[in-house]
Amino acid sequence: MSKNSGKPSSATSFAKASEVKKASEGKPVLEVKNLVKKFDNFTAVDNISFTVYEGQILGFLGPNGAGKSSTINCILGVVKPDGGEIKMFGKDLFGNRSEVMQKVNYCSAEYNAGWHLKVFESLNVYCKLYSVPDSKARIMELLELFEIGDLKNESVRNLSFGQRARVSMCKALLNKPKLLLLDEPMASMDPDVVDRGISLLKKTQKEIGMSILYTSHNMWEIEQVADEVVFINHGKIIAKGTPLELTRQHSKLEAKEPDLRDVFIKLSREKYKYDV
Amino acid sequence: MNLSRVYAIVLRHYYLTIHQLERASDLFLFPILGLVLWGIFAVAFKDQFSSFVLFLVGGMILWVVFERVGTGIGIDFMWDVWERNLINVMASPITLFEYISGLVAVSVVKVVVSFFAMWVVASLLFGFSISSFGFSLAAFWINLVIFAVVLGIFNVSIVMRFGNTVGPLTWILPFMIQPFAAVFYPISVLPPLVQKAVWFLPISHVFEGMRYTFEHKSFNSSEFLIAFVLNVVYFVLVLIFFAYMLNLVKRKGTLVKL
Repeated sequence: MSKNSGKPSSATSFAKASEVKKASEGKPVLEVKNLVKKFDNFTAVDNISFTVYEGQILGFLGPNGAGKSSTINCILGVVKPDGGEIKMFGKDLFGNRSEVMQKVNYCSAEYNAGWHLKVFESLNVYCKLYSVPDSKARIMELLELFEIGDLKNESVRNLSFGQRARVSMCKALLNKPKLLLLDEPMASMDPDVVDRGISLLKKTQKEIGMSILYTSHNMWEIEQVADEVVFINHGKIIAKGTPLELTRQHSKLEAKEPDLRDVFIKLSREKYKYDV
Repeated sequence: MNLSRVYAIVLRHYYLTIHQLERASDLFLFPILGLVLWGIFAVAFKDQFSSFVLFLVGGMILWVVFERVGTGIGIDFMWDVWERNLINVMASPITLFEYISGLVAVSVVKVVVSFFAMWVVASLLFGFSISSFGFSLAAFWINLVIFAVVLGIFNVSIVMRFGNTVGPLTWILPFMIQPFAAVFYPISVLPPLVQKAVWFLPISHVFEGMRYTFEHKSFNSSEFLIAFVLNVVYFVLVLIFFAYMLNLVKRKGTLVKL
């Protein structure tokens, strides 16, 4: 099966991974050092370290249960690590959580933006949570940007999957975050919605100059957005590099285009290969 | 504490209430139905027992204050869990104490609304004048609300730790306390051993104080003080319990699985 299957027609309009700037050009925005998280006898995150730099989009890949969400939950401060250090904007997360989270936002397809609330109301609540000035104007600006301005008085529960994903993206951008954590934000979306979503995300990312930690199981999504990719399995980082570098290292030596699907399958199965 | 974030929680529950009939009915319908039921019962027997209307209607109004705040905090927390919205809220800069303060504020606002609705109905149907008790009533109120907040935070801690399966405790706990709170009868009718245990329950002093006020038309300061001191102790204990549970669920990773 080709890696292009399901790829939207406007894919070529996006920046190629090879054209993006090197990560080390910016200041560190998020520094994760020797992070460990255990749940009873199971080690979900096993001594991992990585850095997200200013303006960088870091793809965070791995199979189900690899430790991606546990890492993100530690970064959000809703799960307490058993070891290691998390710094945001040079400050320790756990000592300065409220202050640093003011410049961070989060989006996941798994969580709702407020099921029984109207779209505008739901976003208005988040504006207060993030102390967004001139909230009404900011909400309308984002709703128009994501082409859902006409849905502002609709209940969130009446929206389609795609519309809800766009509301979640609006929520994630309300405070013009300097660091955005995206945990499979476009899961279950059709390729058209994903295509539009990524296009808008890239546009906004350039405008705000934010950094993004992006997890997804859609390899095309990651190829389009990520400057660099960290691949994690069984709680450990097992590969790191640009999508093209990873493709050349783990799949096709002479590849001219990134093919993370092949890389993903290869790296995910590596453990089992050794077990057998 | 950031008041904008506390306000966000109040705003969210305001929106939820105006969009959901069952939440709005919680404010008016159930408290008034309970009041009317007990009020009619009291009126039916008022010739046999003097002060019966006063005891039952007064007890009912104060009980609703306790029950609404006590359950309200837990229920509003569970709304965020049911809506799969808790992590979006927790991932924001809000602290858990700001979040809990928001839930407490929501419950207090709701109980003020319920209280005034009951006030009107009690005075119209049963000639019960709350305002004549003035300061005494405000003092009972403070102690009731503090203990209800203690119960609410306890509920949230338990649901946070053990999940939705223990959610029904939110409704059950106040009613488990009710027989010992001496809402509608004096503590002296309880078995001697239970009377000793009930001393440690702040709201039993509140209801004893209320009855004293109704009978003697004066404020019982000793009952008020005992209730207040007990409340302060329980409030400190429940905050420690909450902080412990929060630390535990963050370590176990169960907060994100609610």
